[in-house]
Amino acid sequence: MNYLWHILVMINIYIILALSFNLVAGYTGLLSLCHAAFYGIGAYATTLLMMKAGWGFFPSLLAAILLTGVLSLIIAVPSLRLRGDYFVLATLGFQIIVFTILYNWVSLTRGPYGIPGIPIPKVFGVEVNTVFRYFLFSGVIAGFCSLLLWMLKTSPFGRVLKAIREDEIAAAALGKNVSGLKVTAFAIAAGFAAVPGALFAGYMRYIDPTSFTLMESVFIIAIIIIGGAGNFIGPVVGAAFMVLLPEALRFLHIPDAIAANMRQIIYGLLLIILMRYRPQGLFGEYGFE
Amino acid sequence: MSRPNLKSVKREIADAFMEESKMLWQLLANGFVNGCLFALTAFGFALIYNTTRIFHIAHGAIYTAGAYLCYVFLVKLGWNMPLAIILALTLTALLGILTELLVYAPLERRGASLLVALLSSLGLYIALVNFIAMVFGNETKVLRPGVEATFHFGPIILTRIQFAQVITACVLLPLLLLLLRLTDWGKKIRALRDNPTLTEVMGVNTRVVRLFVFALGSALAGISAVLSALDIGMDPHIGMPALLIAAVALIIGGVGTFEGPIIGAFLLCILQSLVIWQVSARWMDAVTFGLLIFFLLFRPQGLLGQRRRLEEALT
Repeated sequence: MNYLWHILVMINIYIILALSFNLVAGYTGLLSLCHAAFYGIGAYATTLLMMKAGWGFFPSLLAAILLTGVLSLIIAVPSLRLRGDYFVLATLGFQIIVFTILYNWVSLTRGPYGIPGIPIPKVFGVEVNTVFRYFLFSGVIAGFCSLLLWMLKTSPFGRVLKAIREDEIAAAALGKNVSGLKVTAFAIAAGFAAVPGALFAGYMRYIDPTSFTLMESVFIIAIIIIGGAGNFIGPVVGAAFMVLLPEALRFLHIPDAIAANMRQIIYGLLLIILMRYRPQGLFGEYGFE
Repeated sequence: MSRPNLKSVKREIADAFMEESKMLWQLLANGFVNGCLFALTAFGFALIYNTTRIFHIAHGAIYTAGAYLCYVFLVKLGWNMPLAIILALTLTALLGILTELLVYAPLERRGASLLVALLSSLGLYIALVNFIAMVFGNETKVLRPGVEATFHFGPIILTRIQFAQVITACVLLPLLLLLLRLTDWGKKIRALRDNPTLTEVMGVNTRVVRLFVFALGSALAGISAVLSALDIGMDPHIGMPALLIAAVALIIGGVGTFEGPIIGAFLLCILQSLVIWQVSARWMDAVTFGLLIFFLLFRPQGLLGQRRRLEEALT
């Protein structure tokens, strides 16, 4: 039974990641390759505040959200005036630099050794110490984040973002501050990405930089592409599919040695096929056209 | 304990200084040799990017495939070196052609955006690299066992294969630049770079030119992969760093130029050597990509690019 709850915890974590990334990729139409960097910054910030400053889970999480949002401005403000591949490349550079810092700033992050023994989150004095409790805990947080993102989506702010995605010049001509809105959306999405980071750290109770690599960013993009971008159902379906696929392969009795590669091959081929025949993904409404 | 006299201290300092300068020369030489290798990859990437504007991430997978094809012919089947390398390069070029035919050309016909092409390319990279890992495993493979013969040039020591890398790049790159200027195909490629629509209007079959560009670019990636694998071996993930350095070299050198990526690759590799010397190899990536972001923000046309190309690239 724990196995099922474990999978559902992972799905909750990836749903928040995918929905927050959707704000950047799906609504604003910006293909960013550094979402895993924000995920990682959130995980490390929460962990370090809990362990070095002795804060509780929620104060640490709130501080981590703010910190991640502010740090995202470093890359967002200068690079959002770049378009197309150049924006993708700039965010790729940022992703690799963040990973290098997490990996090499040993005095703060313990580098490749990772940080073990992360305290278990407490809710109203109750420790979230079983997998089932963690499933409920992450489910409530994922639900709360989804609600906030839903309100953002249906707000005038969300509608302007879609307008920018469809026609940037027209939006600017109507007096919308295009670059300001893009930067805001990017920072909000980065702040939201800190939440799954904290959930992941509290669940695994151990983090190291290899969870927040370029390939993790690519994985988040694949969720959005396969599920579909620009609405709510797409990222949720994508996250569930991407987390469940390896488990499904396990039930098909594919040997572990090749299962990992097999899974990646399936992601890769799905990306190619969807881009060719259905660029908006299975359930999405926006296809990077 | 005797007091060290001034003379011996002086000599020690002088020796240390000699060692230091010797190491600097060696590191600069290594940077130059790496520059030769990455200039080949970057030139291949630039051929494709400048003409098709596709951010060809799968170039990294084709690079990996080149090394592994050579491994199959040379080690698994035990054929002789020239035959193995020629066959591997031919198949690598073919892989490039297949990529264009099966993945990019259909997108181009549909009028898909370049981001869609980039994402397809990413998918192809993931699928191909993991296929290679599934077949050959993740561990490092070597093409040739044993220690290489070395050459001494003053303070610099180069192995035989490093020497071959330098020669190959120094012959091939000027030759290719010359061919791009002088031959009919070179003219077609430059025309496609400058204006695809006009090129087609002038009666050039741009689809064939694109296929040619993919074949040539992929073969160049294969050459540099094989040369690198002969030196330090290979694993399925060698393609990504090679691709990233090629892309950064192109941006630094100047998108739209063919000399730019070569200069960019040399600058980048020598800079990396200096980072190893002064800081640490661990911060190499941060410096490389810091430089990329710096160029993207402050000089997006690169060292050799013209302002005109930038405006075209951004629309």
